[in-house]
Amino acid sequence: MENKLKEEARKLLKEGKVDYIVGYGKGTVKFRTSPLITNKEEDIEGLVINPFIANNLSRYPAEIKGKLGIVVKGCDSRSLVSLIQDNKVKRDDIVILGVPCEGVVDIKKLVEQIGADIDQVKEIDKEGDNLIVKMDGSKKTVLFGDVIFDKCFGCEYPTPLEYDILLGSEVSPRVELEKSLKKIKEFEDINAPERWRYWKEQFSKCIRCYACRNVCPACFCERCFVDVNIPQWITTYGSWQDNLVFQLIRTLHVAGRCSDCGECERSCPVGITLRSLQRKMVEEVKGLFNYETGVDKDAPPVFTHYEATDPEEFIK
Amino acid sequence: MGYKKIKKDQLNTFLSELSKDYTVVLPSRSGGQVVFAPWDGKNTDFLDWYKNTIIPPKALFFPPVEEMFRFRKGEEGYEIEELMPDKRQQIIFGIRPCDARALKIIDMLFADTYKDPYYLRRRENSLLVGLSCNEPCDTCFCASLDISPGQSEDVDILCTDVSDNLLIEAISEKGSNLLSEMSGLSDAGSEEESKAKEMRKSAKEKIARQINLSGLQEKMRSNFENREYWEKASKKCMACGICTYVCPTCHCFDINDENRKKEGKRVRSWDSCKFPLFTRMPMENPRHEKWRRMRQRYHHKFEYYPMNFGTIACTGCGRCIRECPVNVDVTEIIGGI
Amino acid sequence: MEETKWEPKVVGFLCHWCSYAGADLTGSARMEYPHNIRIIRVPCSGRIDPMFILRALQNGLDGVLVSGCHPGDCHYQSGNFHARRKFAVTRKLLEYVGIEPERVQFSWVAASEGPKMAQVVKEFVEGVRKVGPNRLFKDEIKDGE
Ligand code: SF4
Ligand code: SF4
Ligand code: SF4
Ligand code: SF4
Ligand code: SF4
Ligand code: FES
Repeated sequence: MENKLKEEARKLLKEGKVDYIVGYGKGTVKFRTSPLITNKEEDIEGLVINPFIANNLSRYPAEIKGKLGIVVKGCDSRSLVSLIQDNKVKRDDIVILGVPCEGVVDIKKLVEQIGADIDQVKEIDKEGDNLIVKMDGSKKTVLFGDVIFDKCFGCEYPTPLEYDILLGSEVSPRVELEKSLKKIKEFEDINAPERWRYWKEQFSKCIRCYACRNVCPACFCERCFVDVNIPQWITTYGSWQDNLVFQLIRTLHVAGRCSDCGECERSCPVGITLRSLQRKMVEEVKGLFNYETGVDKDAPPVFTHYEATDPEEFIK
Repeated sequence: MGYKKIKKDQLNTFLSELSKDYTVVLPSRSGGQVVFAPWDGKNTDFLDWYKNTIIPPKALFFPPVEEMFRFRKGEEGYEIEELMPDKRQQIIFGIRPCDARALKIIDMLFADTYKDPYYLRRRENSLLVGLSCNEPCDTCFCASLDISPGQSEDVDILCTDVSDNLLIEAISEKGSNLLSEMSGLSDAGSEEESKAKEMRKSAKEKIARQINLSGLQEKMRSNFENREYWEKASKKCMACGICTYVCPTCHCFDINDENRKKEGKRVRSWDSCKFPLFTRMPMENPRHEKWRRMRQRYHHKFEYYPMNFGTIACTGCGRCIRECPVNVDVTEIIGGI
Repeated sequence: MEETKWEPKVVGFLCHWCSYAGADLTGSARMEYPHNIRIIRVPCSGRIDPMFILRALQNGLDGVLVSGCHPGDCHYQSGNFHARRKFAVTRKLLEYVGIEPERVQFSWVAASEGPKMAQVVKEFVEGVRKVGPNRLFKDEIKDGE
């Protein structure tokens, strides 16, 4: 896949079909990859595709001027399509390089599985369904399926639905929805006051770095409501109350646009379980309006549209 | 005063003794995060897993959100209620050498012409007990900034983990006074001392990440207008506030009045030069484009701070590298200039 | 103690063309409904941002009623249809995070439905009374609460 990507990327740049390639390069933190954005052919050699390509790069097209050749996994492609539906990205301005995706490694889970600090790990190889983790003088084998992100278990579209160039052969979806929604189901089983207390505690940690918003491709408001000060909706500094209200409103703003890419939760420096909010809304939007984010670029976005028959039994 | 020592499984009694007169704050796991939190009176297992916190110790002195005072409009003008931090003495146990240095660095700012009472009161009421790093992280590059992972002049007391023992060494006078009052410590032998020295040396050698600081300020000045460089460097940045908020030396803040009817409060909170709205309230953010904001952060640390205070405002703790969602790496950016 | 004296305090966001007019009608017809509600008129149910609801609760109100024209009757044609989608997810989310569903109610009330308005408010206030004072956004959650 990697070689095919390099080949295609070079060609795109050389033929002037794109101004930039947006892909993944090697990171400088153990095993992480990092976005590689370049207009130079000589940088193409640095492109990688491996089980650590966590970032959702579809945040970039709305920001970077010019035509882009962009690398996307299944979930990312749906973010991109959603942006096309919302007229934030023009389909003609991007060349989509699709990665059929078997799942991405959640380094936190990996660390738990091997019971050692990630810094002690020297090398990780994927062999079939296993990851071979080499440490100083020892070796551990973990099941790939045990260390991927929760979102990946429930991923119904691991192969991008929208692409110009597919970099490998299609991957069939895992059907482990239960595993993917486990945290959410467990959360729903506790009573309302406890649920509220949970979020109160979670958002007491929030430092309002806005990473969750800034990495999210669905958060594209030109001026976010938290940055509006006349009237001021919520204070610029954090109290758990305002932090929670901020996130709840953000959750509603991205409902129907969220592809469950998981970037918000992965980025949050204080480990707030944001996916439990976002993914819950994915379920609700599907249940209420039979709508899935980014599976059809010609469909109207769910909240710009309505049906006379939309559910309303809750309205008295 | 020579080295003292205590068996690691006795640390409990040592901490209990300290707890009599101080609030002891140490690394603990809370909500899946490693944070400095008041000691629960029992656990000392952090010695086994603790590397460093994500939120730096600056937060203990300069909290993310701080109410400065409350005000009320009374019959005769405003009544002000001061909200100074309480005077209780606290011990920060387990602070890393880089973070202790970071406090020294921001002391210069908070105790400059304007003496910040909130920060300084907390600093005065605190005693730092450092813990040397035997196993630096992959992201650490403190050695390039003249910080030794195993040593520190910036704490009051320094502990070093030497197999079964914790070697304890008084660094400041405050620290030495405290140690002399403590029971339960025994004198360390020369064997342990030399072992500690060895560990310090090896810790320093383990640090692989580096930045080259020679002639840096000069280079930065001449690179300042190099828009192409900064645009490229900032291209992937998401303009969030993580790197500044997890940085032990970033210190920018915002002040807001929050009022409702006839009363309100003045609140100070962390702010970040990475945000487009930074300084927008008093005037305008002159740095509309992301690359300008990126440049600001690095120039502030590596050029302006040295100009103002004679020291670089980075300790090589590596937090910004590790926590950045897109892995923007300060060593690459500074190295590339 | 204070508890016994507690009366729910709720806010109603009513659309100008139907529900507000409906509430007006209850007044001019001298129909009784609980005084616990303060009404804020908005142009259309489509104007109601979920933020209004959350802020009202954050500011300590015990409940929020949102009301607009019946589907098909919106003065702006589709305001309430769009709002309906928004409300559906809002309600799910609020309940999910632990806000008692009784605190937030949506209704359709036409300009001619004075009695319905009175009934809706009455039932709503009773529901809020049952779940008690809104302490959700209070800083301390006391034991036993
Ligand atoms: S959610 Fe699907 S496409 Fe996205 S990373 Fe996981 S498996 Fe890949
Ligand atoms: S990323 Fe986490 S800490 Fe930052 S604003 Fe979002 S929820 Fe808060
Ligand atoms: S809300 Fe989170 S999971 Fe959903 S699209 Fe945004 S970053 Fe991805
Ligand atoms: S943490 Fe990374 S993405 Fe966020 S502002 Fe800093 S450099 Fe940019
Ligand atoms: S700039 Fe980065 S490495 Fe330097 S002190 Fe700040 S967080 Fe640590
Ligand atoms: S005008 Fe009443 S709902 Fe739109």
